[in-house]
Amino acid sequence: MGFFDSLAQWLGVKKKEVNVLVVGLDNSGKSTIINHFKPPELKNHEIVPTVGFNVEKFKSKALAFTALDMSGQGRYRNLWEQYYKECDGIIFVIDSSDKLRMVVAKDELDLLLQHAELKDKRIPILFFANKMDARESVSSVKCSHLMGLETLRDKPWHICASNALTGDGLHEGVDWLTDQLKDVLEKKSRKK
Amino acid sequence: MLSLKRDKKEEEEGGGNPFNNLEKSSVLQEARTFNETPINPRKCGHILTKVLYIINQGESIGTTEATEAFFAMTKLFQSKDPILRRLVYLGIKEMSKIAQDVIIVTSSLMKDMTGKEDQFRGPAIRALCSVTDHSMLQSIERYMKQAIVDKVPGVSSAALVSALHLGKGSQEVIKRWVNEAQEAVNSDNVMVQFHALGLLYYIRKTDKLAVNKLVSKFSKHTLKSPYAYCLLIRIASKLIEEEDAGSDSPMFDFIESCLRHKSEMVIYEAAHAIVQLKNTTAKDLAPAVSVLQLFCSSPKPTLRFAAVRTLNKVAIKHPAAVTACNLDLENLITDVNRSIATLAITTLLKTGNESSVDRLMKQISSFMSEISDEFKIVVVQAIRSLCAKFPRKHNVLMTFLAQMLRDEGGFDYKKEIVDCIIVTIEENPEAKEAGLAHLCEFIEDCEHTVLATKILHLLGKEGPRTPTPSKYIRFIYNRVILENAAVRAAAVSAIAKFGAHCEDLLESCIVLLERCQLDTDDEVRDRATFYVNVLKQQQKALSSAFILNGLQVSVVGLERALHQYTLEPNEAEFDMKSVPLATQPLAEQKVRDVPGEAPSARPAQDKVAASRQDVYQEQLAQVPELANLGTLFKSSQPMEVTESETEYYIQCVKHTFSNYIVFQFDCTNTLNDQLLEKVTVEMEPAEGFEVTKYIACQSLPYNKPGTTYTLVRLPAEPTQVTGTFACTLKFLVKDCDPQTGEPDDEGYDDEYVLEDVEVTVADHVQRVMKPNFAASWEEVGPENELEDTYSLSTMSTIEEAIKNIVQYMGLQPCERSDKVPEGKSSHTLYLGGVFRGGHDALVRAKLALDSSGVTMQLTVRSTDPNVSEVLATAVA
Repeated sequence: MGFFDSLAQWLGVKKKEVNVLVVGLDNSGKSTIINHFKPPELKNHEIVPTVGFNVEKFKSKALAFTALDMSGQGRYRNLWEQYYKECDGIIFVIDSSDKLRMVVAKDELDLLLQHAELKDKRIPILFFANKMDARESVSSVKCSHLMGLETLRDKPWHICASNALTGDGLHEGVDWLTDQLKDVLEKKSRKK
Repeated sequence: MLSLKRDKKEEEEGGGNPFNNLEKSSVLQEARTFNETPINPRKCGHILTKVLYIINQGESIGTTEATEAFFAMTKLFQSKDPILRRLVYLGIKEMSKIAQDVIIVTSSLMKDMTGKEDQFRGPAIRALCSVTDHSMLQSIERYMKQAIVDKVPGVSSAALVSALHLGKGSQEVIKRWVNEAQEAVNSDNVMVQFHALGLLYYIRKTDKLAVNKLVSKFSKHTLKSPYAYCLLIRIASKLIEEEDAGSDSPMFDFIESCLRHKSEMVIYEAAHAIVQLKNTTAKDLAPAVSVLQLFCSSPKPTLRFAAVRTLNKVAIKHPAAVTACNLDLENLITDVNRSIATLAITTLLKTGNESSVDRLMKQISSFMSEISDEFKIVVVQAIRSLCAKFPRKHNVLMTFLAQMLRDEGGFDYKKEIVDCIIVTIEENPEAKEAGLAHLCEFIEDCEHTVLATKILHLLGKEGPRTPTPSKYIRFIYNRVILENAAVRAAAVSAIAKFGAHCEDLLESCIVLLERCQLDTDDEVRDRATFYVNVLKQQQKALSSAFILNGLQVSVVGLERALHQYTLEPNEAEFDMKSVPLATQPLAEQKVRDVPGEAPSARPAQDKVAASRQDVYQEQLAQVPELANLGTLFKSSQPMEVTESETEYYIQCVKHTFSNYIVFQFDCTNTLNDQLLEKVTVEMEPAEGFEVTKYIACQSLPYNKPGTTYTLVRLPAEPTQVTGTFACTLKFLVKDCDPQTGEPDDEGYDDEYVLEDVEVTVADHVQRVMKPNFAASWEEVGPENELEDTYSLSTMSTIEEAIKNIVQYMGLQPCERSDKVPEGKSSHTLYLGGVFRGGHDALVRAKLALDSSGVTMQLTVRSTDPNVSEVLATAVA
């Protein structure tokens, strides 16, 4: 990075960039969550099932996020791993109203955690227990229990209930992720 | 743009190609840079260019490597840099065929194609269509439809063209886009209109009626785009060709009206289409030719070239129509563009009259050395047709050809010249001496073995019959001393022919051949030994059979028969008569008469591949009931026994064996609501014939050809060979559903009367060319000679009489005796062939024209008395 870039960063004009991977089962609300963070003029009014992936950029208070919004459909889930290597954080979206497929989500999470690229990396994982407005939704505590998150000890994680349609809970979660990533980045720059 | 400019600078500094010597593995290694964050667009763009370069150089990349590079490339979607993004689209298109899981970019591309950046939308559509497979098509359909009617022309065009490509895999989905394509045809943009029309045509291509409507609709309401007009003209001319319609068709009116369009492109396309049509009269051609004439004086070289090239083609079919342009063509002879000049001259040669030939030939020779081989061949073809047209000019033309032979040139060019000289020699006896002399000179210094052997064969055939045969022997023997084995062998055969034909040269020929027995090559030695021994016998019959007239069986058939013989060892000797005879290719002469007309037909005949008869033999051997009839003697041409376009379309082929005739009926059921079963053709045999077996076609569904056979035993009486058979098609009909083809369980018997099938003398005779008729005539001898005189009162010319005789007898005219020199009132026709059972049959017909018609004295010689009788009565 050039001198001007560092200067700009020091002055807080240009934010640091991070890559996050957005994963989760199909119809859990990944693209809708990302859509919420986009500036109003770029918002999509209609969200269709993603095929493959989409790249979206948005900013939180301290960081510039590049989000890889992956497709959750069964036949594309094996493609997630192609992007594990370069990601700094993961957002895992759970449909809290879909108790039936919670075990499938758990399976996918376990596979993700066991993957060679991620196993030994201490990367933060943010869980959204999405669709909390739905009548049959379960609480975030119940959700973390069903996903077996209590056994996840080697990575920082956080779960928050959200409603992507209204935006409730989304900023809270991203703020947590921002703090975590900032820590990581600082540690990295100190090491240098 | 900036980075591109810089790249260019680097290129200049580096000198030459900066991508030279790229290593595939190192480039793919570099592609990992794509994974870095943040992305450096300039650097990544450069690397991606390298990747594209190696792919386009034909470097093969493994699936795993390609997939890795592809996924690295997908990360470049993060960057908004326009140059990099467009390179990514290219990358996706190139890698979509070699990498796996390319579907991953679908959503990203869909976002781009519906996005705001017009620059990205078109390329994104093209890339999207290259990664989309069948199952995914549904999900992008809506976006494609929107894109087709988009107001940005680039986007609309991209969508239309991509739809065409997608249509190759799944026509069904594309068919649903008709309405959008219709709307796009009304676009103001020339390209969009063209592409939309292309898509519409593609969708309706299989439905003739719909295409008809399409053309008539758009020919009325005016299209803006000249490209679309050109396409419409092509569709219309294809329709005319398919329907075999003449100039009265509304399509033709449309094409003609395009001659008055304001765009040159459309005018040319229309003129070209009219000229290419099959059934056009001189009147229809006139407006098209006059348009082309105008183009001849256009300042644009492309237009001049197009016009003169098209005129050149017309000149072959309708020389008279082009004569009007002669003046303009004369001006083009001096054109700075040599290709235009050559075409102009050759066109003039085709249309010109005898007096202008000398002058034009002089002009051609002035720049012959400046044009490429391809155009030289055009010139040679023009000369060939001139030779046929003006036989008296052979002197000038031959000299010119000889000069061309001496010049430098490739094999195709030399072959064309040699062919031209050979044809001229055969057509025109006056040119023979000069032509042979030129060819002799050519083989003195000929690097092409094929041509040398061809010429030596010709010399062997024609040389002995010239007034001074001895002068050719020197040229031929020189070959034995100087050339390679193949040419030497050909030369030996040629010398033997001189020895067999000219008695006064026999001694010297034997001496020469004896010297050849010391040759280093086996084939040459074998041939020499064989010929020396045959010639020393000094028997006319022997020399005729083994030297002058050669082998007359089909090579493929002989190979098969010998193979069979070795497989089943037999006490008896191998019988040459059991081998099917080589059939004379009938079309050959016709093709030669119109050079350039059907170049595709000629290579097909040159092949020694299995002839039509060999194919039939195989086919019949597959049917167990017909397998043991012996060798197939002759198969007739297919003959229709129903009118075409009736309920059932049937062709009959007659296969003659030594004691049987097999009638093969190739049937097609043209009713889609019927399934026919147990189809046979019942035959009412003529006297003496006996139907022994029907082999039914078990099932004949709609539009799938099937075959049924009827086996007939020939009469025991050898002179009784002709007859007429009444035929009836018998079958079991089952009604069925036209859509599914599912038949009912119950059926009913039905029959259908066919036209009569006739067995003629020609069915019992195989055409065989006797290159030296006189020798064969002596060989057969006068034992079974029959002679009779007929008066053919219905014939008014000798040509007509010859045509009919050849057709009735089914024999091959020998020594070009079927061509009558102009203005002669008497002529002798020589016919050669083999009768069923392997008996040689020769016919000499002396024809004379008088006031009451044609009088014919027919002499038949054969190795079997019955054959002579059959043939002698054939004409009566």
